[in-house]
Amino acid sequence: MAFNKLIIIPAFNESNNIHHTLTEIRRCADGFDLLVVDDGSSDDTRERAVEAGAEVISLPFNLGIGGAVQAGLMHAHRAGYEYAIRLDADGQHDPEDIHAILKSLQVDDADMVIGSRFIGKNREGYAPRWPRRLGIFYLSAIIFGLTGQRVLDTTSGFCGWNRKGIDLFAQMFPVDFPEPESLVIASRFGLSISEVPVVMRQRYSGKSSINFIRTFYYLFKVSLALFLMTLSRQEGDRHE
Amino acid sequence: MNSQMLTIVLAVLLLVLVIDLVRREKLSFKYAFGWILICVSAIGAAVFKNILFRFAYWLGFELPSNFIFFASLAGITFLSLLLTIFLCQQNHRNDKIAQKLGLLEKKLDDLQGSFKE
Repeated sequence: MAFNKLIIIPAFNESNNIHHTLTEIRRCADGFDLLVVDDGSSDDTRERAVEAGAEVISLPFNLGIGGAVQAGLMHAHRAGYEYAIRLDADGQHDPEDIHAILKSLQVDDADMVIGSRFIGKNREGYAPRWPRRLGIFYLSAIIFGLTGQRVLDTTSGFCGWNRKGIDLFAQMFPVDFPEPESLVIASRFGLSISEVPVVMRQRYSGKSSINFIRTFYYLFKVSLALFLMTLSRQEGDRHE
Repeated sequence: MNSQMLTIVLAVLLLVLVIDLVRREKLSFKYAFGWILICVSAIGAAVFKNILFRFAYWLGFELPSNFIFFASLAGITFLSLLLTIFLCQQNHRNDKIAQKLGLLEKKLDDLQGSFKE
């Protein structure tokens, strides 16, 4: 641990992208430790990440994005990092925006900061196609209805936490639909959430894991999951 | 009519139980979802029993009740296959964790050894 700020990059079979992503992050974001959580990859993601100078946690099998990010946050919690920022390995998050997220964590004193595609001017960034955009806004309405929390980009994987956020999500990180569910958890445990504009780029290589045809089924399931989540017990008694 | 009410009551009870299990975190959403679907379709079939009956005749069952028994048996068979798959996956993961733990322990022993030297 050289710094008190950590960048967490969950990666599953990203050997084509990981090196490029890491060098780019290194170039724009000084003063951060880099942690790659290799989520049970079958390719040489781990080796490429070590090569690029990141610390690596390798999970014995694929846990999915939620389990991987949580592993990273558990490390952040244990090592005592002040700030943690999660970034995707595939290069669709512009590392330049790390500064905006960090600034919001430090200056606005937010506990959780979402990198949003829908606020501010989206500098020549990639905009999601309308079915997905509609879905994201629908989730935004659901989350507002359930928690009173306003978030526009409810499926953004580009986000950051301060100490309070790290401590909460190291203990409980949702695994089914990590991004929208973590917003509900955050607001239920009284974390303050802020959104800053970021640019999403096209992925370097590989396909997105979200299938457009399944959008409606996905939305139905997420709504149900979010609803059930608001029913679950309130107390923060998960100190295993 | 009474059997219809009984079905609905049981399905609603099951639904409430499943939701409560999720609430108390005894059941995760991933596994609860299937149960919720089963409850809702049981309620739907009981309420719109005419559709159920017509469907049963169309499939060639002379008695709708036979169709219901057949469908539940098929469902349970499918479910137990699914459970076996999950069980296998858990087994596999257990083995992997045990192996990784063993390797880690060895690495630690090696490290400790090199410190003592």
